[in-house]
Amino acid sequence: METMPAPSIVFESAGVSVPDEDAQRRGLPDAARDLLHPLTLTLTERRIAVIGANGSGKSTLLKLINGLARPSTGRVLVDGACTVRDTGRVRRTVGFLFTDPLAQLVMPVVVEDVELSLRARVRDRAERRAHALEVLARLGIERLAERSVYDLSGGERQLAALATVLAAGQRILVADEPTTLLDLRNDALLRRTLDGLEQQVVYATHDLAFAAEADRALVVEDGRIVFDGAASDAVDAYRHLALEGV
Amino acid sequence: MRARADRFGLFVPGSSPIHRAPLWAKYLAVLAIGAAALVWRIAPVAVGLTALTVLLYALAGRHVLSRWAWPLKHLWWMFAILGVHQWWLAGGGLAGLWHAVGIVGSMLAALQAARLLLLSTEQADLLDGLARALAPLRRLGVDADAVTLALHVMLRSIPALAGAAGDVTDAATARGLRRNPLVLAGPVVVSAVGYAHRTADALAARGLMDRDDDAA
Ligand SMILES: Nc1ncnc2c1ncn2[C@@H]1O[C@H](COP(=O)(O)OP(=O)(O)OP(=O)(O)O)[C@@H](O)[C@H]1O
Ligand SMILES: [Mg+2]
Repeated sequence: METMPAPSIVFESAGVSVPDEDAQRRGLPDAARDLLHPLTLTLTERRIAVIGANGSGKSTLLKLINGLARPSTGRVLVDGACTVRDTGRVRRTVGFLFTDPLAQLVMPVVVEDVELSLRARVRDRAERRAHALEVLARLGIERLAERSVYDLSGGERQLAALATVLAAGQRILVADEPTTLLDLRNDALLRRTLDGLEQQVVYATHDLAFAAEADRALVVEDGRIVFDGAASDAVDAYRHLALEGV
Repeated sequence: MRARADRFGLFVPGSSPIHRAPLWAKYLAVLAIGAAALVWRIAPVAVGLTALTVLLYALAGRHVLSRWAWPLKHLWWMFAILGVHQWWLAGGGLAGLWHAVGIVGSMLAALQAARLLLLSTEQADLLDGLARALAPLRRLGVDADAVTLALHVMLRSIPALAGAAGDVTDAATARGLRRNPLVLAGPVVVSAVGYAHRTADALAARGLMDRDDDAA
């Protein structure tokens, strides 16, 4: 048997580039644009925030972690599994919460959507239902079980989406601006829920107070990590950067 | 996306005879109505089958019955275009009209029968039934769960796309543009493609699209 690798997310000179169509039209057929310059990092902290301007590359960075984005150079390993070669294993380790919960919820009723996450692992229908209800109860939203996903408030929807992710039982949760669409109350509710999770959580956000709660924060600027360290320092660095010359 | 978008064909809880009918009987009824509509395609049969669907909706309860008119309210332009086209193909006149009623009415009856199945059956039951029915095909290399999920996502997309069409119409109206279908088509397609991308990402992220699910 292989020795178990240390649980962690590792970027090994991982970068993402896309063909640069503007330059290609100007006669440079191989021109490419870096969405994310090659970067090397190891993420082991329990709460990691990613901040940066619109279009800086936060979502791209997060999508690398579960293989939704593929590195054009280098590689990304999650608990030793390569996100490209071993996508199935990576997806069983990393859950992903999107900004818009409606894009994520496919079944009409909340509890059925949670059951969908369990389909592959729990074949028995009654057992699946019980397990799904238990996940909802853990998040304090068992009352939403039979509700249509369309009739929920934004915050309830996001909690329901979180339940579908947690039901899959992954060890790591990646969340891309999970609070952006939420009002103050739901924002607080979701943050408290995320805070109470055992999972390692890597999240992008434009909410600097939320970012400041992390154990570590990365500041992304034009596809580069320009700061990596304590969350409060990262927030200061980002503020400085963003307001420069305004 | 908007709340009204889910009215196309989502489950309406109830305990009517239609709700309680076994799933195979419902599938069979949909097939029978669809086949009859397809085989005859003449006005009397089409009108009769459409009336039959109204009766079945009524049997399923008030809330289901109130959903009957949804396709006419939201997709009338589709029926109108199809009807005029068929009328014109048949050489116009009264004979053309009867022909068009036969074609459009048959379509409407088949659509309404399929919707009733969705309105009166919990989607999980629908899927489990389908997965069971497809299970024997596993030997031929058919992944019953994948087929079921795909069907599911298709069902789910209908209200989402209807919602997108509504949103785009509102956005155009807000900017003083008239409801020109040709102007609206572009943004609706863009929005639909965006939706498809997000859904695919979300399904992939949940490990629902991996081929090696049985590996670990
Ligand atoms: N598939 C793609 N092809 C080409 N360019 C892309 C693609 N995906 C993202 N981009 C571009 O990459 C850059 C980084 O995008 P990304 O979504 O990672 O930014 P972000 O930091 O998440 O921004 P936001 O705060 O607005 O969510 C942007 O300039 C974006 O336009
Ligand atoms: Mg983003």
